[in-house]
Amino acid sequence: MTGKLVVNLHKLARFTNLALPFLAGLFFLAGLRISFYFHFLTVSFLFLNFLNAFYLFGQRGHSLLRNFGILGQGRYILESIGPELRQYLYLNDTEERPFNRNERSEVYRKAQNINSASSFGSQKDFDATEVKVRHAMFPIRKSQLKPSDVTFGEERGCPNAYTMKRPFIISAMSFGSLGESAVRCFARGAKQAGILMNTGEGGYPKYHLEEGCDLIFQMGTAKFGVRHPDGSLDDDKLKALAAKDSIKMIEIKFSQGAKPGKGGLLPKEKITDEIAALRGVTKGEDVISPPSHRECTDLESAVRFIRHVQRISELPVGIKMAMGNAVEFHGLVDEMKRQDVFPDWITIDGSEGGTGAAPKAFMDRVGLPLFPALKRADDILTEHEVRNRLKIIASGKLVGPGRQMIAFCLGADAIASARGHMLAIGCIQAMQCGNNTCPIGITTHDPDLQRGLEVDLKAQRIANYVQNLEHDLEELLCATGCRSVQELSFEHLYVPKDSTLNTFIGSSH
Amino acid sequence: MKTRISPILSWIAQIIAVIIMGQTLFFKFSGAPESVDLFTEIGMEPEGRILIGILELIACILLLIPSSITYGAMLGSGLMAGAIIGHFTTLGWEGDRLELGILAIVTLAACSLVLFIRRYTIPFLGSALQDSPSEP
Ligand SMILES: Cc1cc2nc3c(=O)[nH]c(=O)nc-3n(C[C@H](O)[C@H](O)[C@H](O)COP(=O)(O)O)c2cc1C
Repeated sequence: MTGKLVVNLHKLARFTNLALPFLAGLFFLAGLRISFYFHFLTVSFLFLNFLNAFYLFGQRGHSLLRNFGILGQGRYILESIGPELRQYLYLNDTEERPFNRNERSEVYRKAQNINSASSFGSQKDFDATEVKVRHAMFPIRKSQLKPSDVTFGEERGCPNAYTMKRPFIISAMSFGSLGESAVRCFARGAKQAGILMNTGEGGYPKYHLEEGCDLIFQMGTAKFGVRHPDGSLDDDKLKALAAKDSIKMIEIKFSQGAKPGKGGLLPKEKITDEIAALRGVTKGEDVISPPSHRECTDLESAVRFIRHVQRISELPVGIKMAMGNAVEFHGLVDEMKRQDVFPDWITIDGSEGGTGAAPKAFMDRVGLPLFPALKRADDILTEHEVRNRLKIIASGKLVGPGRQMIAFCLGADAIASARGHMLAIGCIQAMQCGNNTCPIGITTHDPDLQRGLEVDLKAQRIANYVQNLEHDLEELLCATGCRSVQELSFEHLYVPKDSTLNTFIGSSH
Repeated sequence: MKTRISPILSWIAQIIAVIIMGQTLFFKFSGAPESVDLFTEIGMEPEGRILIGILELIACILLLIPSSITYGAMLGSGLMAGAIIGHFTTLGWEGDRLELGILAIVTLAACSLVLFIRRYTIPFLGSALQDSPSEP
């Protein structure tokens, strides 16, 4: 260990603990002899001594403070500002999770209409795992592209089939997880951009309806907004809601990528009187939705329930799920074929998806990531020859055109993103969605924090973001020589050996 | 301290501290002879008199704004501790100095009571007081 500078923290702490009373005494003497002003220091050090004594002898909860005293507090302070320090100083542009600085700045630029061309070269790691899109030798021109319309419900001749002009959706985020201002930003932005917004499972979509954008009403497992007090579906409420002009489609949520197998969760910090009323719950405790719909206990009843909702609402009806077991998905498709009932779309949510609040183990360890899940779902539907009976919406970190393009190649008809749109209105990834303390004012009900969100301006950011995503998508399509996203296929992807998608090479059509 | 009485107690203590500190401000800022004498004796005239006055004014204001009461009490107790040191070392306890000294002690006690009642909100200390620590 020669020549190595070692700081013995224990010794340093002991020294500090001795130095503190000594200094207090010294300043007292200086105050006495030199100038009374020194007593400012005397008093401060008396206070520090008091604090130190308390840490060492008074409290028992924190072992570190009990052993080291006030010096140990330095560690807690540093630890508490660690995430910020790392984000600002240490982590490089491709290191952060869930979204690294490059990914975030691409969204910010798109939202603010700043050219997102970069220079000199990519920062991605090429030879290892990065999937690439294969371009054509002779790209086509934009004028040769087909319109990107997607019509939900056309397969079964639904009278209220809905056509969307741009294949982008603001993914489910409930009022509750979001504050009022954020809901208004998204809804107004969706209207301006001409895209769909999913209400999330937050109950009656009061502010969404006020803003008047096209909506997917999401029915969570607790059926907030359309429930009987016992938690079962209230057909009349659903019918009344579905009859509203802005409500274009209904999504039944089976599961969500960030917490598959668990119901929605709204921490009690975020439950205001209004939210309690809109959801029909009581204040003061966490609202935990059941893990599954009480109507759906097996494949047979689940498919029957989808049909029931289609019949009651007379709207296109889809389901949202995270993929767990492919055998189960086979079974689901079998059952759909047997009853000849298909949802109008399936939203495949990847396990990398976001959430307002979920247990960490679920976030980290449950469910399949989007790309393999999406590919598998598309394969299974194709294998059963029913891929043409429904659409697929994909979600899970699809915030930039690169990953979106890959999702289209894997079978998606449309892209949904929650966090992409959050970033577009200024999210800085402070990771406090569940605490009601979002510093940007998105996932909080604190009026002082929501003040930061200027609704008109942020709505424009959403419109810019969508506009620029569409622009990049069109250019990418031209590069592949395909005239619409439906022409894209797995063959348009280059998949290196270490990618999770590698197992699918040669496995399908 | 979940009882309903403690917030009331805290407010009473706050008001006492504010009244005692507040009424001396007039003497300090107007340069009343007693005040000038006192600060000359400890060698802080006139800057120290103004400075302490301003700090006491700030403490009074903080003590009355609900979100900053703890900080006001901390500042107030610090200032009073300084005053008491002054009485013990230079000013003494004779005549009106006795009255002033006692007032300082009362204010310190009031601020300490406030701090005790609101101890969970004291920076750095509050979190260590919680029975179930958030960190190991
Ligand atoms: C703040 C927040 C709230 C969410 N609320 C819901 C919800 O109510 N229902 C739901 O199905 N998904 C919810 N999600 C998940 C998103 O809809 C989406 O599936 C997931 O975040 C993946 O998309 P992303 O990676 O683009 O964010 C929420 C996500 C976030 C970040």
